[in-house]
Amino acid sequence: MLRRLIVFPLLLLGACATPQNNYDPLEPINRPIYQMNKAVDDAVLRPVAKGYVRFVPPPLRKGVDNFFENIDDLFSIPAALLQGKATPASKSFGRVLVNSTVGVGGLIDWASDLPIEKQNEDLGQTLGYWGLPTGPYLMVPFYGPTTLRDSVEPLSRFIWGPIDYVDDLAGQITYYSVYIVNARAQILPLDKIINEQADPYAFIRDSYLQRRWFKIHDGNPPFPLPMGSAEDLDADADSEEAAPIASAPSAVNPETP
Amino acid sequence: MYPLFSKLLLIITLSFTAAVSVANDSPEQIVRSTSKDVLDIIKKNEKDNSKMRDLVDQRLSPLADYNRMTSLAVGRYWKSATPAQQDALSKEFRTMMIRTYLSALTLYKNAQINVRGTRAGNDASEQTVRTEVSLPGQKPIPLDFSFEKIGSEWKVFDISVEGISFINNHRNQFGAVIRKDGIDGLIKSLSEKNNTSRQNK
Repeated sequence: MLRRLIVFPLLLLGACATPQNNYDPLEPINRPIYQMNKAVDDAVLRPVAKGYVRFVPPPLRKGVDNFFENIDDLFSIPAALLQGKATPASKSFGRVLVNSTVGVGGLIDWASDLPIEKQNEDLGQTLGYWGLPTGPYLMVPFYGPTTLRDSVEPLSRFIWGPIDYVDDLAGQITYYSVYIVNARAQILPLDKIINEQADPYAFIRDSYLQRRWFKIHDGNPPFPLPMGSAEDLDADADSEEAAPIASAPSAVNPETP
Repeated sequence: MYPLFSKLLLIITLSFTAAVSVANDSPEQIVRSTSKDVLDIIKKNEKDNSKMRDLVDQRLSPLADYNRMTSLAVGRYWKSATPAQQDALSKEFRTMMIRTYLSALTLYKNAQINVRGTRAGNDASEQTVRTEVSLPGQKPIPLDFSFEKIGSEWKVFDISVEGISFINNHRNQFGAVIRKDGIDGLIKSLSEKNNTSRQNK
């Protein structure tokens, strides 16, 4: 049931792509969804996450975060392997092995102390590595920013994950609740910066897309991702910024009616 | 007469030494020494936010090309701005940038900044210094500084956190404000934001 709830809006969004802006064709749909997500966040999620940070002792929170990070590590093994990256894959494997056993099911991150550094791979990056473009940027209800390509990661986790071995509904609800609250609590420090922005929607979108671009190239992108619509860029600006966007077909600015 | 003279002398000596030290350093050396100094300033002035901000600003100002940063963030509208407007924009942009990064840096005051290497830019006059900010028990955060050589000096024109560029991230928002309220509207909205957060501190 939960799965269908998530997949359906994604398909819906994918279906009605009407290009308006060179990298955010779904902006007219995304913006209202962002407003709704923001309202839900203001009313429920952020207060809960704040309470979580305030009342749950730090070691326990660290344990919870480690637990979910351990599952991330598990998923980053196939993501690295499918890119032919043997060392990152084996490091993630070592991390899962150590942390799931000595680290009591992932609650303690012994691997980082060894040190086996955390790797940064996911299936969206795998597809990007092989040249698949991002597809439209999506603001998913109750979830947040992603792109059509990067949605492969959360979707794959719905298809299979350790949660499948928790059968009763109460257990599943607890798992997802803790997961969501932990994830939200991790990004609480960013709220201040986001709230300061003239256009938080654009700020989150541009940050998300640049960060993904950076990760797909393992921190070494060939050129910075051009942000802003073509008309915002200076024609005489540096070639690396002007060139990629010049080839984009008819970029119309979202703000012009 | 005498105090004025000594002040002048001090200013001349200071600007001279600053220029010399900057001219001889590679971007990587600049990042190493500056990041150490900035973290020191933050640690020593934790209780006095405005003093901390001023000291950091002073330490960074000879190294950063705020005009260039602002012009890149404002994009094509930069040229239509009058010199006075450009100055005002740069000034507000500078304040905003210091404010943004300081609020992030105070969370990371015990962090270690490790230089991971330098990447060549498009031509010989551009270089990016790649660093990582790490706290014990946390994932390191990539922090990159883009330098441009102006004359014999290297100056920072962009900073990115996890690949999120400060100038790129403001281009859309600035463009939208300028189209709606003009360049003066942007100056006004930036300075209002800078002022409110100053009062909050």
